[in-house]
Amino acid sequence: MTLRRRLLIEWCLIALVATLSVTFATYWRGTAAFDNLVYDQLSSISRPAPDEDILLINIDEASMARIGKWPWDRSIHAQLIEKLSPAKPRTILLDILLSEPGGADSDARLAQAMKSAGNVFLPVNFHSPGSDGRAYDTERPLPLLAAAAKGAGHVNVAFDNDGIVRRINLCFSDDEQDWPHLTELVFRNGGPGSAASGRLPNCEAQLMLPYAARDTFSEISYADALDGGIPAKLVEGRDIIIGATAAGMGDNYPGPFSDGGVVSGTEIMANMVAALRRDDFVTPATNWQVMLLSLLPTWLLMIGFLRWQPRTALIVSVGIFALILICSTSALAASLWFPPGAALLGIILVYPLWGWRRLQAMSAFMHDELGELEREGDIVPLALNPDRGSDLVGRQSAALASAIDHLRDLRRFVSDSLEHLPDPMFVTDTAGTVTMANHRIEDYLGPVAKGTSLKTLLDRIVASAHRRSVDDYLRVTGKTQQNPHQPFVRFVSPDGSHFVMRSAPVVNDADKTVGHIHYLADISTLAQAENDREEALQLLSHDMRSPQSAIIALLPTIGDKRVSGRIEGHARRTIALAQDFVDIARMGESPFEGTDILLADLARDIADNLWPLASERSVTIDVVDNSDSAFVLAEADSLGRAITNILDNAVKFSPAGGTIRVSIDRLKAENGATIELAISDDGTGIDADLLPRLFTRFAARSAPDARIKSSGLGLTYVRAVAERHGGKVWAENRATGACFYMQIPEAMEPIPDPDV
Amino acid sequence: MRIAIADDEVDVVNFLKTIVEDMGHIASAFSDGAALSQALVRETYDLVIMDWTMPKKDGLATLEWMQTSLQEKPPVIMLTNRSAKKDISDALNAGADDYVTKPEDPSVISARINALLRRSAGSGAFEAKAVYGKYEFDRIDQTVAIDDKVMTLTAKEFELADMFFRNRDRTLSRNYIMETIWRTTAALATRTLDMHISRVRAKLDLKPENGFRIFTVFGYGYRLESIEKR
Repeated sequence: MTLRRRLLIEWCLIALVATLSVTFATYWRGTAAFDNLVYDQLSSISRPAPDEDILLINIDEASMARIGKWPWDRSIHAQLIEKLSPAKPRTILLDILLSEPGGADSDARLAQAMKSAGNVFLPVNFHSPGSDGRAYDTERPLPLLAAAAKGAGHVNVAFDNDGIVRRINLCFSDDEQDWPHLTELVFRNGGPGSAASGRLPNCEAQLMLPYAARDTFSEISYADALDGGIPAKLVEGRDIIIGATAAGMGDNYPGPFSDGGVVSGTEIMANMVAALRRDDFVTPATNWQVMLLSLLPTWLLMIGFLRWQPRTALIVSVGIFALILICSTSALAASLWFPPGAALLGIILVYPLWGWRRLQAMSAFMHDELGELEREGDIVPLALNPDRGSDLVGRQSAALASAIDHLRDLRRFVSDSLEHLPDPMFVTDTAGTVTMANHRIEDYLGPVAKGTSLKTLLDRIVASAHRRSVDDYLRVTGKTQQNPHQPFVRFVSPDGSHFVMRSAPVVNDADKTVGHIHYLADISTLAQAENDREEALQLLSHDMRSPQSAIIALLPTIGDKRVSGRIEGHARRTIALAQDFVDIARMGESPFEGTDILLADLARDIADNLWPLASERSVTIDVVDNSDSAFVLAEADSLGRAITNILDNAVKFSPAGGTIRVSIDRLKAENGATIELAISDDGTGIDADLLPRLFTRFAARSAPDARIKSSGLGLTYVRAVAERHGGKVWAENRATGACFYMQIPEAMEPIPDPDV
Repeated sequence: MRIAIADDEVDVVNFLKTIVEDMGHIASAFSDGAALSQALVRETYDLVIMDWTMPKKDGLATLEWMQTSLQEKPPVIMLTNRSAKKDISDALNAGADDYVTKPEDPSVISARINALLRRSAGSGAFEAKAVYGKYEFDRIDQTVAIDDKVMTLTAKEFELADMFFRNRDRTLSRNYIMETIWRTTAALATRTLDMHISRVRAKLDLKPENGFRIFTVFGYGYRLESIEKR
């Protein structure tokens, strides 16, 4: 597995983990504690001023001490209302549960007082969990009192996970009806904002309450109020909230204040009334919104990890972190609450996680590669030293450093080897540019600078007469795949030495050719020997042949036809002998270059060539093609001469009036057909002792006619040619005469030439 | 006709001169390519017979010089000791019109000379019937009769046979044949030509006994040779 692929898999896993974590944190309030902390700190920065229209009358410890133990007789409340009413308060919110009868007289008196005040509101409490498996019990005021009150509303508060009251519902639905919050009723009863507001509370919506600083609302003790020590102007036109603050009354709640103190129910209600009047409840974002907004920065960062430098990723991570907090703060200023916890959790999770996994992947990759190198390293042993550095990174960097050292050594070793090799050589890349050359090359080719193109180099040193070999050489060395055919270039250096340049491909680990090594071999002595041999062959093939041709040309001038006939025979034999010798010598020199040849036609050509000789001896040559015009891949020259040699022999060994049958047959085989050429005569056959060595040098048959002598090279040549064509040749005796067989593989269908 | 002969071997020159003069032509002899070239500048010859290997300027060099320097190159027969088939196709591809391998019979040499002179003099008018030895060509019916026995040939085969007989003793290149018969050299597999010629050869029974034979010049083309009874 490549490093890249592994990192991609790690990336996907981290993205999945981060997405799941953010989602869980959003829905299961995993980051609620943090979010609340942030919320409390942010809200404490700017708290709303307390509403001056609100007066709290607290049933505090002092009142208890003066009036007596709770519960008080309800006539006491009636007295207070009666005292307050003349000063014309806007509303009286009596935050005391009056669900059980408290004595008929007292209840009647309180009802009477409330009725005459006409602006008293009573609470309805929903006790949760309820009895008998109900979700809640509804605790309503006594019907008598409820009838006397102006309205009744719920007073339930919602607790956050940490037990602090931040959220409230302005409405509560039981099975029968929607109960507005008591403060909502107070708000609707008149005062700033209420007339303009046609809005009704949404029973589903949970809002967050912005608290004014603690103990900043106007308040007086219940006892003081009862004693009549309140100036009328303190009461007039104000919303009076009467409720318990004394410890042990159970109406105190932990508030979102940094000092951790409690806040009384009356103060919460005061804050609610104030918030309603100002219309500045904070609306929290829904879970769905929070999740999307939290996932966005995480994903952004994840995508960025794929492209950015680690440094950039760090800066961006910190930037995004800050941005989330800024966004959260700005939103709160606009009365919207976006808890930043989940979003921050995503960032905090992915950055180190990615850093760790990437390091791990890199580390594993390095470990594998170094291990691989160690296993392969046979030139210089690559020991991974585990002692240096105790931690993983330390160990691996030590191993890497050692591997790099070894590679440097290896490189030095290679360049030194190249430099001190006795043969001149250089290296090119696949584009044909010289990337390395040893000094010896300069002795032969002049300075070879790095970056020189191979073509320029070859153009400089190879004469234009050999352009074809240069093109061939360039074509093969330009290819990236390996080629079994390795071309070479021959050239003569300025000092007259002969050279052969060959190339070997440089193959990388993935078996791909990445360049070529070119080396020069001095073949001056070989070239000299070749030259000498060529001269000898020239002498045989031309210089000796010329005078023989002249002899034959002179023959018509000789009167004695018998003598001239014999002279011609000898002269022609000399020519044939020289030709056979040269042909055999030349055979191995050049590579096999076959063309498509219709074997039957070749045989007919040869039969026609031999017709003069045959007709002179009254011999008939019959060519029969049973092969349906089979083609063979053959050299017309050598194969033609080989068949001529056999057929010529057949004519010579045939009796006068005999027939030579040349038949061409197609023998089917598993992998392509074989074409068989059979030449049979009706002569005396071949001597049994000669048959096994018939195709060896100078194993001449003695012809019945003493005039005819075989050179003895003819059949040796035939065998060499047959083998050169991937075939074979043999002879056998038949009832009448000898039969020579030659088998050659059939040519494949030709591949259409793209140039045509 | 004026025929130039160039060879460094005096005996060969005399041998050729005798053949040419026996045919009723005028022969001029040269001993090397340079002398021949000088003469070609001043004189006009109807045919040049020259050796491949000559001192001073060899046959191939003289041939190349003729191609580039003469306004109208006379037909050239190359004489060669080399029987290697590649050398022969090289010579023909270099611009020689025909070749003769030494040593060769006088009858063959004179047949080649005739074929080339006939060609350079123009191929003659259309004749409805033509008789070549045993072979009788009816160009209207497109049939060939051998000893009055009519052979069935396809249109292409007739055209091929007719072309060979009109140009008997002349070496024809494969391209010439393909352009003449198929009117194209492209998209015609080389095997197609080989197989057509093989069929014509078999159907018309072209062999020395019947007075004609087809000679394959490998790497170049074909020649229909007329065999003279000796």
